[in-house]
Amino acid sequence: MKKIINKPENYVKEMLEGLYIAHPDLITYTADDLHCLVTANKREGKVGLATGGGSGHLPLFLGYVGKGMLDGCSVGDVFQSPSAEQMLAVTKAIDSGAGVLYIYGNYNGDIFNFDMAAEMADFEENIQVLSVVAGDDVASAGPSAPGEKSTRRGVAGIFFVFKCAGAAADKMLPLEEVKRIAEKAAANVRTMGVALTPCTVPRVGKPGFSIGEDEMEIGMGIHGEAGIRHGKIEPADQITDEMLDKIITDLPYTAGNEVDVLVNGLGATPLDEQYIVTRRISMYLAEKNIKVHRFYVGEYATAIEMAGISISVLKLDAELKALMEAPACTPFFRQ
Amino acid sequence: MDKGYIIKLLENLKDIMMTNKDYLIQLDSVVGDGDLGLTMSDGFLAAYNAVKDTDDNDIGKILYAAGKAMSTAVPSTMGTLMASGFMNAGKVLKGTTEVTLTDIANLFDAYLEGVAARGKAKLGDKTFLDGLAPAVASLKASAKNQDTLEHAASDAAYAAEEGFMHTNQLLAVHGRAATRGEESRKLLDPGAAVAMLMMKAFHKSVR
Repeated sequence: MKKIINKPENYVKEMLEGLYIAHPDLITYTADDLHCLVTANKREGKVGLATGGGSGHLPLFLGYVGKGMLDGCSVGDVFQSPSAEQMLAVTKAIDSGAGVLYIYGNYNGDIFNFDMAAEMADFEENIQVLSVVAGDDVASAGPSAPGEKSTRRGVAGIFFVFKCAGAAADKMLPLEEVKRIAEKAAANVRTMGVALTPCTVPRVGKPGFSIGEDEMEIGMGIHGEAGIRHGKIEPADQITDEMLDKIITDLPYTAGNEVDVLVNGLGATPLDEQYIVTRRISMYLAEKNIKVHRFYVGEYATAIEMAGISISVLKLDAELKALMEAPACTPFFRQ
Repeated sequence: MDKGYIIKLLENLKDIMMTNKDYLIQLDSVVGDGDLGLTMSDGFLAAYNAVKDTDDNDIGKILYAAGKAMSTAVPSTMGTLMASGFMNAGKVLKGTTEVTLTDIANLFDAYLEGVAARGKAKLGDKTFLDGLAPAVASLKASAKNQDTLEHAASDAAYAAEEGFMHTNQLLAVHGRAATRGEESRKLLDPGAAVAMLMMKAFHKSVR
């Protein structure tokens, strides 16, 4: 393990301390617990938006708390869910009577805890809570049958759900409406990733799996979950095409559609490579007559120091497009 | 029996999970990430510590508080499921200050329901439920027959053990074990082992 850290057990705590020092105008914490991060600019009467999840994915999840996006985030240990109690503390702090919407990724630990927190908010605090679970990773499972629970993992595409729901809440829409918009965004986003190297959880000290020097894993999850194909590394254009083939046919995205595209670095892949992929995505989508409204390129959801990239595509309609264009200001996202 | 018994039960649960920490780690390492022994010993310890000196006489509130403490201490998948069991048992027994065999049967039934509702698993999915459900059925039958508490607990512990031993015939549909498909069938489920240990601790608490 080669990391710029102090004691591994202080990794999350010291990361959070640094964040609060760097962004005092945007974020603070509640319940005397650094893991219970909330906006420093609470707006009365607005639906509160909360997320949460394990650490190790910055800017996900807490990096999107701020103006025009989320209001709170409970922060777990590396790759571990925060507790329901911490989620409840965040819920109480961000509720201003209009209710709270939870938006989080499709992982059992997070689901169990958010469900419990929602029950506690209702049972103990009389706060109305609704939830939207994002599962955008097309490589993690097949599409779910109507009425069936999706088993797809949530990955970088949740950024689009945060952005659309955040802009909707910012317009002071009621809870049910914000939920509808979050669900609509979640239903129209698909993601696929490729990993080149594994990542190391600081307290574990060594990678949990290995990828050969000249190999890649197409479809790997952001905790190193197995992908759909392991093979020799290929040129950027070929990798990009393979991922897009999967994404495009899944929703499907068709000629005439307008989309926003997120090119996301998983932690150790330089921006240079991300832009090489962006170039190919543009060519690929132009060929399919799919119009790109806007590209977002950079690190949006990482897997500690994993090398690799994910591509997320959001299908737009007039409503989602306007919400995507709305201003936002958070520690990691400004427009 | 009043709250003193419930706290003794929680103490016995804590003790058995700590004694069997390595056994659970070993079972869980075959399929999962091997931390089950740690989360169960840490979780049941937190549950016991949260209520051992309580002034509250309400057994429901004691169980709810124990569950909440556990969910805070170990927010892992299995930790949250066990906490959900305690919290649901707490809701069902709210306002109760004395318990009989029937109430104990209701307690474990509510625990089972709390876990099932949280995990959205069914019987036969090769989970904790397959260990606890036979024990709850046995307890209910004992309560109906007005058995002695010790006899009922002994039968329940036996039923849970049978349920656990039977999990090596079931196909996993949840968690990492599920990714193994048919291969998962021959494995014993670590969650069901927790149910078996719980019932052993319950038996000990009434002897």
